[in-house]
Amino acid sequence: MPAYRSKRGHDLHYELHGGGEAPVVTIVNGLSMRTSHWAPYFSLLPAAGCRVLSYDMLGQGLSSKPVLGAGFDDHVDVLRELHEHLGISRPYVFGISFGGVVALKYAVAHADAIAGLLPVSTFSELDPQLRCHAWNLFTGLSRVGFEYYLDLLMPLNFSNRWLTENAELISLIRRVGASGNELFGIQNLMESLADFSGISEELGAIDCPTLILNAEYDYLTPRHLHEIIRRRITSSRLVLVPGVCHAFTLEVPQLASRLIVDFVRSVESGHWQGDQSVWIAAEDASADPLLLPCEGDHLRAIPIAPPTQAGKARSGGNEGGKESGRDKR
Amino acid sequence: MTNDIANLRKRIREHFARGSVHPDDQTRITLFIQSIKAINSAVLAKVELQPFDWQPYRALHNQYYREVELATLIGKATAWSSNPFLYMEATNLNLELWNRTGAARYLQGLLALDETFYSYLALSHAFMSVVRFIPLLPTSMSLDTPFLQALKEVEEENGRQIQVQIRLLKEADCGLEAEQRERIVEEERNKVESCFRELLERIAPNGANA
Repeated sequence: MPAYRSKRGHDLHYELHGGGEAPVVTIVNGLSMRTSHWAPYFSLLPAAGCRVLSYDMLGQGLSSKPVLGAGFDDHVDVLRELHEHLGISRPYVFGISFGGVVALKYAVAHADAIAGLLPVSTFSELDPQLRCHAWNLFTGLSRVGFEYYLDLLMPLNFSNRWLTENAELISLIRRVGASGNELFGIQNLMESLADFSGISEELGAIDCPTLILNAEYDYLTPRHLHEIIRRRITSSRLVLVPGVCHAFTLEVPQLASRLIVDFVRSVESGHWQGDQSVWIAAEDASADPLLLPCEGDHLRAIPIAPPTQAGKARSGGNEGGKESGRDKR
Repeated sequence: MTNDIANLRKRIREHFARGSVHPDDQTRITLFIQSIKAINSAVLAKVELQPFDWQPYRALHNQYYREVELATLIGKATAWSSNPFLYMEATNLNLELWNRTGAARYLQGLLALDETFYSYLALSHAFMSVVRFIPLLPTSMSLDTPFLQALKEVEEENGRQIQVQIRLLKEADCGLEAEQRERIVEEERNKVESCFRELLERIAPNGANA
C-alpha cells in the first residue's frame, strides 16, 4: 500500500499501474472518490500503452485528513510533490469534478511540466445553480450524514439505465462510501469551495493539449461550465459523452478509457489539434470513428436545428445567425 | 495511514467476518463508547454554567444532552458479556483513556476560549472521528440487529455533532497561531488513536484464531 509523505508531513496514498516509460495519466478524484473507484482503469489504460497514477487527495480515502482542512493550492502542491517523488516529469493530468479544478489549477501553475490536461465533469467557476447544488450537498453531509449526501449525488451521477441495472448495489455503494471516507475529510474539501472565487480568468495561461469531457446529462456541472473552459483554453477540444451523467467515468469505463488513450496517442504522435472544436463520442467504445463533429448547438438541450440552419429556414437563407456548434470561437 | 494500522484494521474486519458481533465484543465496544461519552458529558456539563450568549453555548448545550442520550441508547441495545474479567479489562482501558487524554484537566475551573478549551475541542473531534466501528465491519454484514443499529446511530450522530468541533477548531479565537492549533489537533488525535488501537488489539489479538 504505497504512500508518499509530503513535505508538510501528510501521507498520500497512491497506486501506479503499468510499466516502462509509457506516458502517465494522473487521475485526480472527484470530491468523495477514492483510488479504488478507478480499478477498471488500472487494467484498461496499461493495456492500451499508458501508465495510470491514482491517488487519494488529502482528506480522502487512505490519505491523511488534515483536521483544519487544506486549500486548492495545497492539493496542487502535493500533487506536484508526488509527481517529483515518482519521477514523472510530464504527466497527463485528468481531473474529474472537484478534481477537475485541481487539474486546471495544476496546469496553470505548472504549464511547463504537463503533457496534457483532461478536465472532466468539472467547472472553473461557481455559477448560482452549482452554488445551490454545493450548498445542498454540504447541508446534507453535515446535517444529515454521509449516506444522505451520497443519496443526493446518486441521480446526479448515474443514468436511469445504470440505476436500474444496479439497484441492488446502491445500498452497498452507500455503505462502502460512508465507511471508506471520513465525513470531516470530505467536508473540509467542500469547505475549500466556500472561498473559491473562480479561476476562469486564469485559464488563458494553459497552452498544453486539453481534452474537455462533458456528459450529455450532466446536470451537476452542465455544458455551459465546460464551454467556459473550452473558450478560455485555445489548445482544447470538447467531447460530449452521450447518454450518461456526471460520474460517467464510473458508468462507462471502456468508453472513457478509449477517449483518454486516443487523446494521449494523438498528443504523443504529434497529431493533436487543439482547435476548440466540439465533438460527440459514440456510445460504443469500439466504434470507428469514435468521435463525430458536433453540428448542432452544443449549448442547447432542446434538439433544435443548428442556429445557422434554423436561421436560413426562417429567412430564406439571408440570416447570418450564430456560428455552428463546431466553430472555433 | 501506516501499514500497522492498515493491518490491524484488516485483522479486525477478518475477525468480524467470522460471524455476528459476539457479546464480548459488544461489551468491549459499548464500554469504550460509554467511557468517551462520560468524558464528554462531564466536561460539557460545565457548559451549563456559561452565559447564554457565550459563543459555543447553544451548540455544546445540545451536544451535552445527545452524549447522555447516546450512551444510554447503546447500553440498552447491548448484549452484555457474562465474563467478569472482561469488565475488569475494560475498566483498565477506561482508566487509560482518562490518563492518556488528560481528560481530568478539563473538569477544573470554568470554560473559556483559551488553549485548554481548544485542546478539549480537538479531543472531542478525535473521539467522534477516530472511534468508528461500522467501517470495520464487513460490508456484507447486516446491520439489522439492535446493537448494530444503535452503533450506527451513535456514529451517524457523531457525524452531525462533530460540526460544532469543526467550526470551533477552525474559527474560534482561542489566541493560538495556526501551527499551535495544528500541533494540538495532532496530539489529541494521537492520544485517541492509541487508545482505540488498544481496544481493537483486544478485540482481535494478533495471532488469535477467534
